Amino acid sequence: MRRLLDVGLEELTTILFKMGGIAEEAVGLSIEGFLEGVDVSEKVQSLSAVLVTLSVDAEDKTFELLVKYQPVASDLRVIKSYMKIAYDFERYGRYALDISFDHKTFAELRKDAFTNTPLQKLAEKVIKMVQTSVTAFKNHDAELARKLAGIEDEVDKLYMSTLKQYSKTSFRDNSLISKILVTRYLERIADHATYIGESVVYIATGERVTLR
Amino acid sequence: MMAIYMFDGEKIDIRNLNVWFEDNHVLKDISLKIRGNTVTAVMGPSGCGKTTLIRAINRMNDVIEGSRTTGQIYVDGRDIYDSNSNVYDVRRKVGMVFQKPNPLPKSIYENVAFGPKIHKMARGKELDQVVEKSLREAALWDEVNNRLKDSAFELSGGQQQRLCIARALAVKPDVVLMDEPCSALDPAATSKIEQLIRVLSENYTVIIVTHNMQQAARVSDFTVFLYLGEIIEYGKTKNIFENPQNELTEKYITGEFG
Repeated sequence: MRRLLDVGLEELTTILFKMGGIAEEAVGLSIEGFLEGVDVSEKVQSLSAVLVTLSVDAEDKTFELLVKYQPVASDLRVIKSYMKIAYDFERYGRYALDISFDHKTFAELRKDAFTNTPLQKLAEKVIKMVQTSVTAFKNHDAELARKLAGIEDEVDKLYMSTLKQYSKTSFRDNSLISKILVTRYLERIADHATYIGESVVYIATGERVTLR
Repeated sequence: MMAIYMFDGEKIDIRNLNVWFEDNHVLKDISLKIRGNTVTAVMGPSGCGKTTLIRAINRMNDVIEGSRTTGQIYVDGRDIYDSNSNVYDVRRKVGMVFQKPNPLPKSIYENVAFGPKIHKMARGKELDQVVEKSLREAALWDEVNNRLKDSAFELSGGQQQRLCIARALAVKPDVVLMDEPCSALDPAATSKIEQLIRVLSENYTVIIVTHNMQQAARVSDFTVFLYLGEIIEYGKTKNIFENPQNELTEKYITGEFG
């Protein structure tokens, strides 16, 4: 016989799966728009708004399940972690929105392209981290989640080399602030990917790990 | 001479305990060490041996015809099943509170004074002090101090259960066993008993049988999971409820069986 808790858990999982898909789309779209010089802010804004709404739904649902069923063991780990992951997905959306607005605001000032720059490589790695985090989450795949630590190391190196490159750039480059901000947003997205990875490991094994 | 073994700090050390009722092998080779001044919850599905386990700790199974016990239970390093062990001393040192409040058909005062009197532990003013101290420890004094001569049956269910706790404390035990002490109580009375259990653990070692998972999580420091007479898992309550190591424990506490 199905437990009453299972019905609620399914509803919560549905919300989180939806959020994972939207968050992945928002980050991918904003980065693509930024690198290719296309204004995608309107679309990203609507995706981000949906993530905010779903995040509230997820929070309400987790509290409802905690109060109604006082879950333990794997149920408790899932519910606790889903609340955190919902926040991480919401942050994905928020940074995607920041990237798309950065482009919208500063694109006209930019003269150079991003092809083969550390920023482009950084962006690609971050997209990979987001995809990995969402897949690991959907499958509760601790092994895949642990791989985020390796990609995070690469992201950190690219982040530092990108900042170093910009520190040598002339301040006459009017788009410098824009590029530094986007670099920072990307690094923050990568951090949230590792948080999701940590939650996935915790759900699957009960082990608390740091992937940063 | 009574057997004394050098224990390493545990209040209770159960070694290879087996209990049979006639041909029914109820507890199978139980070994368990329980630290002093802690609350240990014993949980498991009906018929798994929880009550038999705690009743073994003050030799209450002895009174059941056809019961047989092997193994040792050391309380403060002394084997309570040793042939030189005095069963009345054991039951004074290890008190018991039952599922349903079972006050004696006497006054509130006499219920608490009963144990110290028969053990000749106190009389007169000293006895009054023991009664007051026990009722205070059971968080009942403020509710009954002006009606000590009233019948215990005039108290509410929750108050009667706290009276039974006071009665157990009056003979100065070290260990208090509780067999589903809240199962017959409403939420408010349950909450009071749970608070009391936490306070009692400052001075006593408490072992509680409970079917209520959340109660075990709220009140206990350690949890034992019994299944078909065997210990499946024993550990810190936080770990058992957050990340049980045994699949049976996981299934039981998440309600997949039981």
